Amino acid sequence: MAKTYDYLFKLLLIGDSGVGKTCILFRFSEDAFNTTFISTIGIDFKIRTIELDNKKIKLQIWDTAGQERFRTITTAYYRGAMGIMLVYDITQEKSFENIKNWIRNIEENASADVEKMLLGNKCELHDKRQVSKERGEQLAIEYGIKFMETSAKASINVEEAFLTLASDIKAKTEKRMEANNPPKGGHQLKTLDSRTKDSWLSRCSLL
Amino acid sequence: MADDLPEQFDLIVIGTGFTESCIAAAASRVGKSVLHLDINDYYGNVWGSLGIEDLISLLAREAAPHSTLRNGSYHWHEQSAATPTSETEEMKVETGQVWTRETVLAMSRRFCIDLCPRVLYSAGELVQLLIKSNICRYTEFRAVDNVCMHQNGTIVSVPCSRSDIFNTKSLTIVEKRLLMKFMNACNDYGEDKCNEDTLAFRGRTFFDYLKAQRVTEKIASCVTQAIAMCGPDTSFEEGMLRTQRFLHSLGRYGNTPFLYPMYGCGEFPQSFCRQCAVYGGIYCLKRSVDDCSVDVNSNEVLISSAGTTFRAKHVVSAPRYLPASRDYVMRPHLSRGLFLSSTPLGNDVLNKGGGGVNILRLMDNEGAREAIFIQLSHYSGACPKGLYLFHLTTPAVSDDPAADLRIFTLQLFQYAEPEIIFSSYFTLTAQSQPDKGGADDIVYYTDAPSYEMDYYDAIANARHIFGKLYTDVEFLPRAPDVEEIVVDGEDPSALNEHSLPEDLRAQLQDMQQATEEMDIQD
Repeated sequence: MAKTYDYLFKLLLIGDSGVGKTCILFRFSEDAFNTTFISTIGIDFKIRTIELDNKKIKLQIWDTAGQERFRTITTAYYRGAMGIMLVYDITQEKSFENIKNWIRNIEENASADVEKMLLGNKCELHDKRQVSKERGEQLAIEYGIKFMETSAKASINVEEAFLTLASDIKAKTEKRMEANNPPKGGHQLKTLDSRTKDSWLSRCSLL
Repeated sequence: MADDLPEQFDLIVIGTGFTESCIAAAASRVGKSVLHLDINDYYGNVWGSLGIEDLISLLAREAAPHSTLRNGSYHWHEQSAATPTSETEEMKVETGQVWTRETVLAMSRRFCIDLCPRVLYSAGELVQLLIKSNICRYTEFRAVDNVCMHQNGTIVSVPCSRSDIFNTKSLTIVEKRLLMKFMNACNDYGEDKCNEDTLAFRGRTFFDYLKAQRVTEKIASCVTQAIAMCGPDTSFEEGMLRTQRFLHSLGRYGNTPFLYPMYGCGEFPQSFCRQCAVYGGIYCLKRSVDDCSVDVNSNEVLISSAGTTFRAKHVVSAPRYLPASRDYVMRPHLSRGLFLSSTPLGNDVLNKGGGGVNILRLMDNEGAREAIFIQLSHYSGACPKGLYLFHLTTPAVSDDPAADLRIFTLQLFQYAEPEIIFSSYFTLTAQSQPDKGGADDIVYYTDAPSYEMDYYDAIANARHIFGKLYTDVEFLPRAPDVEEIVVDGEDPSALNEHSLPEDLRAQLQDMQQATEEMDIQD
């Protein structure tokens, strides 16, 4: 089957429990918002294919599966991630303060050149705001990353945020491809592997 | 810790080793509520992979009461004087980095050092389980580059596939024919139970069978060292089983029948834990268990941890994690050696492109003791480029892992002296009597890692315990792919589509398909 995309990017969502990571994910992948999601049961990641500069980009966006709750995200979660959305809740001061800890966690476990972006979610809740937009911007400048305030509920900036992150990764990837770095080879197990026990004989030989 | 955790669970799993994590995932997958605790701040316990700093601090400190790791030691080897004194940036690029204690430690997190390293058969138990359950989506593999053996004082690659046999220069044409014939015979074994050729060897040793096939010395060592991985006492049936495992795993992913997990074997427990979490399992690391008792009225286990008491219908625990299990005598079980080298072992053919992922099975002269050697290069993701991890594992015969492994290190390093930067030894222990599940079959203890290729014993152990906990429930059924999970606005049943019974699920899928087709017609 022909490949239906030009690039595949693995993205992660990271941040405290309850900041709306899963809602952001569903807003972007399904254009749906549902407050009845109690947790992220059964959802590993979601996929959406976007188009940038005539290139089809398949985004595979992973959710934390609740393992952020006691800071027990596995190191395996970070493997191969090319972009990370750091999410806090503008109505929860604590979730903003914890961004620093999450960044440390990322530095320890993710690859050094992973593209990061900071999101202040729930920006539709003006009356409950605890973290000003300026503080978010300031923190992002400190880490040299991009920043947006989003609302998964009111559908504000979610699309834009992912498109920005994806286009930054795309630029980086294409730059690296020009430098012509050979890709490293790993094997992904395929589900549709129905070879029989005689398979070793199927290799051609003259013996 | 501000918990606000539920206090009632179907299952509490203590310890995040391979077997415990596998059970946790299986239980969570079929809808059981699971709480998974570990006293360590990392996943995997003795089945995990560590950065080099974490490994050193583990080896340096007194063994914690819950730990089954003993007799740890490590040593930094002084770099030889051969390091160039005045090097320009260009030279650095050419000769690679100069490795010292400082430069290695600076990259500590780039290492994934397995406490219990394994390679997998490409068609073996774990690969099948990962594919069947769809947990393979969390893992990536490196095909093992070479299966090696000793021959005339050097280490050579064993030809595995038909084309390898055809192309190898280490065998004569006659030997190639003999080896092919032998492999064909092994491959067909079992098809015809009454085959007279093999019937005569039931109950005898595999060596007897090999001798009767009139193979040459060279082929015999190929088969015993690398393919059947057997000793003089291995039974005919066992030798045949291992040979078939080897042959059936050929031609799937790489040149050899073996796979190594990218970033180390510690990825497996983590993959199972992720699957458990995806289905609602709750994870707490750095949580010790202070007490475990049984409530006779409700027949539940009470687990107290950090001031909270949890109730569960069942508890599965790694050995020694529960205070009550700490009285059991632990005996040395596996002796482990670990070496970090700036040069790979063996010649260039075995280390194309900057180092291979190679395995070599070692035997002492009497054939009484054996060890598995695994070399990992940066292609495995387990160490930085330019460094090589050597893992040695042998069944323990004493409390001194270095002494247990001496005959094997002598064999390995006698011809080619690698530039060893760091070496370490430790013992993994096991309970002397496997516990049959204390506290009236409510608490189950998992087994310590055994000496084996792949994870046959560990998976059997997990299946066994799972089977005791939940009868007539499938062990790790396939998790649906993302595309199959329908999340549709207000319909709450859609979220749990995968939890529907088989027939309803089929109906739902039919309906969806019908809807899609209707859309097209429109």
